[in-house]
Amino acid sequence: MFRTTFGRSLYGMRHGLIGWSVGVALTVWVMAAIWPSMQSMNIDALLAQYPEPLKEAFNVADYGTGTGFLNGELFSIVLPAIFVVYGIGRGARLVAGEEQDGLLELVAVTPATRTSILVQKAAAMVVGVAVLGVVLWVAILLGSIAAGMDVGVVPAARASFLVSLLGAEFGAVAIAVGAASGRRSIALAVTGGLAVAAYLLYLVGQLVEGDRPYRWLSPVYQAIVDGPIGPSLPGLAVLMPLVALVAVGVAVPVFERRDLAGS
Amino acid sequence: MGTTAPAADRTAPPPEDGPVVDTRGLTKRFGDTVALDRLDLQVPRGCIFGYLGPNGAGKSTTIRLLLGLLRPTSGTAHVLGHDVVRERRRVHRLVGYLPGDVSIDPDLTARQYLDHLASLRGGVDPAVRDDLVERFDLDVNRRIGTLSHGNRQKVAIVQACMHEPELLVLDEPTQGLDPLVQRTFLDLLRATRDRGGTVFLSSHVLSEVEDVADVVAVVRDGRLVATTSVADLVERTRRRLVLTTHSPADLVALRATDGVRSAEPSDGGVEVVVEGSMAALFRLAAPWGIERVVADEVDLAGVFLHLYEGD
Repeated sequence: MFRTTFGRSLYGMRHGLIGWSVGVALTVWVMAAIWPSMQSMNIDALLAQYPEPLKEAFNVADYGTGTGFLNGELFSIVLPAIFVVYGIGRGARLVAGEEQDGLLELVAVTPATRTSILVQKAAAMVVGVAVLGVVLWVAILLGSIAAGMDVGVVPAARASFLVSLLGAEFGAVAIAVGAASGRRSIALAVTGGLAVAAYLLYLVGQLVEGDRPYRWLSPVYQAIVDGPIGPSLPGLAVLMPLVALVAVGVAVPVFERRDLAGS
Repeated sequence: MGTTAPAADRTAPPPEDGPVVDTRGLTKRFGDTVALDRLDLQVPRGCIFGYLGPNGAGKSTTIRLLLGLLRPTSGTAHVLGHDVVRERRRVHRLVGYLPGDVSIDPDLTARQYLDHLASLRGGVDPAVRDDLVERFDLDVNRRIGTLSHGNRQKVAIVQACMHEPELLVLDEPTQGLDPLVQRTFLDLLRATRDRGGTVFLSSHVLSEVEDVADVVAVVRDGRLVATTSVADLVERTRRRLVLTTHSPADLVALRATDGVRSAEPSDGGVEVVVEGSMAALFRLAAPWGIERVVADEVDLAGVFLHLYEGD
């Protein structure tokens, strides 16, 4: 566990991961608990009166099924936000945060290269997000069984995978910005700003006809365009790991060369 | 030059007589601030090298440059024959580092933390590490977050020494160590030197260095002021002491004594500033019946200013 930077970083994330897992599971189960009463309210008839763009924007077109309900209630903003915030928080902490706390110094004077430190920390962040994704998947399946939501095992896995990719992408950007700047606050601000911009781009794309050509650029859109509890993985989803790799790849030479902060 | 020199082999150890640390015009600027100004420093092998200077003189900047944590603005630095920028990994393999302000993972036990750093170094001799742990009486099973400052410093000492580095770099190391631990620590430095290693010891307190160092370099305002033996530095150091005597002191005779720079009456005694040896002073004062001597810690800034002006 403590032999590698990867293992050490993952070990340091354990308490937070337990808390976030509980949060994700409770979020899903609260929604599952509401589901039977929503179903009896004949919500589709109510929603029929809503303007079409609004329904599309908040992904509420299909509230009559368990899948549609979860897509609209959880996956349109709450779960993507949870995964993005988790990813950014870990990402900003793992390199820039540890550097500012003086914890990187004694690691940086070992023969381990800075590249290896950065890559292993990014890998630990990805594993953390993936664990949260698995928890989400299991929570959806249990909630679905308990509340009779009839959500498929594979579609639920796809949706969990997609929001995990989204969280990992922003986490990687946060690690990259933190590694390049050495400042946790900059990593949080820049990546948080990008996340809000990504959501707005998605939202505006849903609401306004004219902006649709650009919405594919939004990672939020890439993640939830097909549900995300849906029949297939959107091809655009491949952009999320690609952007993550590029971000870390750009940060590597900067991190190798720059001054490290003292304790 | 009629002979062709063989191509320099980077992997070869530096010549035994070459300096362990060798900087040429080493300069570091942070924005408009010059933290280190064209430093030419040579540290000979197998000695304890004191690196003295007041706070903010550029000591930590020098150390962080030598360790590759900072990049030089200009100039070069070699540690054990390896360029600290281009051959940073080689330097890291051969050097142990004890930072002044120790920040250690509070989440791990000392054992876990030492294991972690050891494996990043590709493993260390467990016998050496266990010996250090024992010598400093360190409880490795406690979480570092629950350790006192002094115990945390012990963890830092062990990690710096456990791979038996050829060069040990210490930045203001004895702050916060209790006297007993300090003695163990200084013994360790001497043992490092005696097995052929080199110790680079920075400090702003002369007394911390004078007991243990062989050679001393003095920095001030980012520039090297002097490199000298400890004996010479002590010889040139001014100390202020207050002398209380049974019968009244003869101020005129005092002022005429070897080494005495000034003598003024003070509460119930005489305040004397002495440079170098105090032998003549005490020979003169002994007949007056010395009741008490209170000496100040040496004001290093003053010593350095004095040296600075002297050059």
